[in-house]
Amino acid sequence: MPTIADLADSGAIVKIDVDLAPRDQPLRLLYGTPQFIAWLRDVLDGAQPSRQLGHTSITEQIDDLFYSFLSGEQLIFTKQFRVVRAEENAVWELKTPDIRIFGWFMAKDCFVAVFGNWADTIKDHDLYRGYRIAIRRLRRKLGIDATLCVKGVAPDDVLSV
Amino acid sequence: MTFFRFDIDTRSRMAGRFIGRVRRELLKAIMEEKSGGLTQQELARRLETRRSDINRQLSGEAEITLRSLADLAWALDREVTVELRRAEGTAGQNIAPTTSTIGYQPVRIIAPKTPNG
Repeated sequence: MPTIADLADSGAIVKIDVDLAPRDQPLRLLYGTPQFIAWLRDVLDGAQPSRQLGHTSITEQIDDLFYSFLSGEQLIFTKQFRVVRAEENAVWELKTPDIRIFGWFMAKDCFVAVFGNWADTIKDHDLYRGYRIAIRRLRRKLGIDATLCVKGVAPDDVLSV
Repeated sequence: MTFFRFDIDTRSRMAGRFIGRVRRELLKAIMEEKSGGLTQQELARRLETRRSDINRQLSGEAEITLRSLADLAWALDREVTVELRRAEGTAGQNIAPTTSTIGYQPVRIIAPKTPNG
């Protein structure tokens, strides 16, 4: 039964960090799969949606989302995060105007990002179901579906602030 | 254990986080008022604007001007507090301005190369 440290040591997940403000301390944990990290690298290299909705840049949106998550700010339920569907898949979505990030909570305040994509693309191609199935399959493959996965669907189940 | 730092330049970081914070403060205030019975329709009526315009501002799809921030605060019966503090060092704080390797440059990353990446 792997632990979070085992998963990180094996490279199955990678810890994600942003610069915090001088008086902030990290209050939550954020990880990504290698596939998600590759997507972040593409974004940092300038990848853009075909039509941008937000009036801040894509990288600014992601930095602000990661910052508010890691620094323990109150995330606004449904506006910034939501459970994808109240069923046993336990898949959650983090949101910015142009970005959707899908993953799951290994523990309270500890999120693993698996897929990132443009909001328009996800809606146009209805990728929600595919992401839900793929994330559950990944948890099973890692052998953690029953251990490192918060099954609750209420905000208080996954975030303590 | 490897880690990945999502690092953007300081100017963009400050702008994105400031704009995000303003939006979150507005959303929190609206949610608090909502539990007291205020609907977005009523908010739009008070501001003599469309609900969709307010939604676009709150979702980050439209810019929130200083005027619209003041108007929303008025409609929510809130005060806006603004303060520009000089960044001063204190013991034990993070030192992002010196640990970041980038200034006003295009974004780049600080992350160790992994076997896969």
